[in-house]
Amino acid sequence: MASVRFDAVGKRFGSVEAVRELSLEIADGEFMVLVGPSGSGKTTALRMLAGLEAISAGSIFIGDKRVNDVAPRERDIAMVFQDYALYPQMSVFDNLAFGLRRRKVASDEIKRRVEEAARVLDMSELLARKPGQLSGGQAQRVALGRALVREPQVFLMDEPLSNLDAKLRTQTRGEIRRLQQEVETTTVYVTHDQVEAMTMGDRIAVMNDGRLEQVGTPEELYERPANRFVAGFIGSPSMSFFTGPEVGLTLPRNGAVVGVRPEHVRPWREGLIGPLKGRVAFVEALGRETFVGVDVGEARLVVFEEGRAVRDVGDEIEFGLVESGLRYFSSESGAAL
Amino acid sequence: MTSRAEQSLGYVILGVFSLIALLPVAGIVFTALQDPDGFAAFGSIDGLHFSNFTTAWDEANFGTYLKNSVFVTVVVVSVSSVLSILAGYAFGLMRFRGSTVLFYVFLLGLMVPMEAIIVPLYYEMRDNWKLQNTYWSIILPQIATSVAFGTFWMRTYFRSVPRSLVEAARLDGASSWFTLWRVLLPLAKPAVLTMGVLLFMWTWNEFLLVLVMITDDSKLTAPLGLSVFQGRNTSDLTLMAAGSVIVALPVVIVYVFLQRHFIRGMLSGAVKG
Ligand SMILES: Nc1ncnc2c1ncn2[C@@H]1O[C@H](COP(=O)(O)OP(=O)(O)OP(=O)(O)O)[C@@H](O)[C@H]1O
Ligand SMILES: [Mg+2]
Repeated sequence: MASVRFDAVGKRFGSVEAVRELSLEIADGEFMVLVGPSGSGKTTALRMLAGLEAISAGSIFIGDKRVNDVAPRERDIAMVFQDYALYPQMSVFDNLAFGLRRRKVASDEIKRRVEEAARVLDMSELLARKPGQLSGGQAQRVALGRALVREPQVFLMDEPLSNLDAKLRTQTRGEIRRLQQEVETTTVYVTHDQVEAMTMGDRIAVMNDGRLEQVGTPEELYERPANRFVAGFIGSPSMSFFTGPEVGLTLPRNGAVVGVRPEHVRPWREGLIGPLKGRVAFVEALGRETFVGVDVGEARLVVFEEGRAVRDVGDEIEFGLVESGLRYFSSESGAAL
Repeated sequence: MTSRAEQSLGYVILGVFSLIALLPVAGIVFTALQDPDGFAAFGSIDGLHFSNFTTAWDEANFGTYLKNSVFVTVVVVSVSSVLSILAGYAFGLMRFRGSTVLFYVFLLGLMVPMEAIIVPLYYEMRDNWKLQNTYWSIILPQIATSVAFGTFWMRTYFRSVPRSLVEAARLDGASSWFTLWRVLLPLAKPAVLTMGVLLFMWTWNEFLLVLVMITDDSKLTAPLGLSVFQGRNTSDLTLMAAGSVIVALPVVIVYVFLQRHFIRGMLSGAVKG
């Protein structure tokens, strides 16, 4: 096991700057999630760590060793690919054993490790099959198993759940997390799904346009976003932004952009800031809770109501804001104030 | 979905074209089986007289020609297959300086017909290499043209393999060499066999090159042997037909044995390339 350090790492593809000045420290045994919108450079960062992409600027360290010029197979990392990349002509057993055989592990040790991984992943009965005979979920487990048996320094995963259906995704999410905690191997996990990021990561690194916007625990990102981008990206439905004058309020920091999450926008009652009046623009009734999109002047806020609220588009609604939930951002730079 | 009428029409059209393609072949076969002492007429049947084949075989020395053909074809196909796989792998999956330019040079070899280079090639072989009238003079140029096609073909195939498969093998500790032979090639069987069949056919049927390079009768390949035979037996239609069947048979046999892979290879090329 080992820590990982990105030191001012950059990557250019011709005129495209895929990753800019990325500095990030990942502790030994940590589960780090890289999250960000499409094209933000997550995959590129991961591939540079794997050695599949050359590094244009800066250095990457695994443990104390600078790995810029180390071949992928000498970096002692295992990667789970989005399309699983199982060797189609080999049985599941051989898929798992492939990396160990290449590393000249003794054959009874290989057998032991493969069977152990198969047991942990509950796929012992699949060992004799070929990848073509597996369901998507099973293939995914085999891909995990192939990384697991290697017992590498670092696990890398690039959107490993994106080909699974919603239910299986939730289930596998928990499973990956459990496995990682068991083996305590440093893990870098790429996703563009902020729910995955929030539920899996010890810490999360939010990327945007090749830049690192913020690193922190899920709570930190949620409670104290460093800027408007992170505030809007983390949380679902996302934070609403408005200015005091837009909604007719005088708030402490004049001129700043105010951000507020749905749970801090409630139907009017005493003790809230308000009342504010608006028209219902959409209703998202999820059963246990209802999110109501409300237009107030130019701004749109999302109101959170317990249970199944009966509202119609166009209805007038009166609501208020929870003061402790307000976040302020500079209207120029977007940085948190 | 296609309607029944459309489907039937499809079969009729396919049937007609199959007939057009197969009739001359059937004609040759029937002619080859005619009574050698009767009146020969192309395509008519008057019983099965297999003696024509033995006569043709003995008279035309087909044993030697076929042996030469097999030797030349096996060498050309096996050497150029190996070279094509290696070159296609490099062009398809590796990044190196000058790869684009180099690949165009290979393509050039694919586009220039033998007729365009045969004359300079002849003088080159005769004066500089001193190889005229040896097997080398027909083997080497055919390896060159075969590798041009084979590299193109295998490169297309390797490009269609998911990149992540190669990368997974790299991270698992496999060398480029090991990845090629153990991970990629087992998947490439249809592509490689298809290439093999095509190269086999082209090499087997090569005429012009052998005609120009080889003067010694005992070194001729089967198509040339057939033409020599024809020169001597212009009047005996049945024997000619029997000789043609003998020369064409190996290609047909190879094709029949490999056609399942062949069609799969052609299709995968068509969809992905
Ligand atoms: N091989 C390449 N050649 C040229 N540009 C590339 C290459 N790979 C990535 N890019 C560019 O680099 C930028 C970052 O790409 P990257 O794949 O890292 O994004 P990502 O965050 O993984 O996105 P996604 O969530 O869609 O997977 C994009 O603008 C992309 O077009
Ligand atoms: Mg990506």
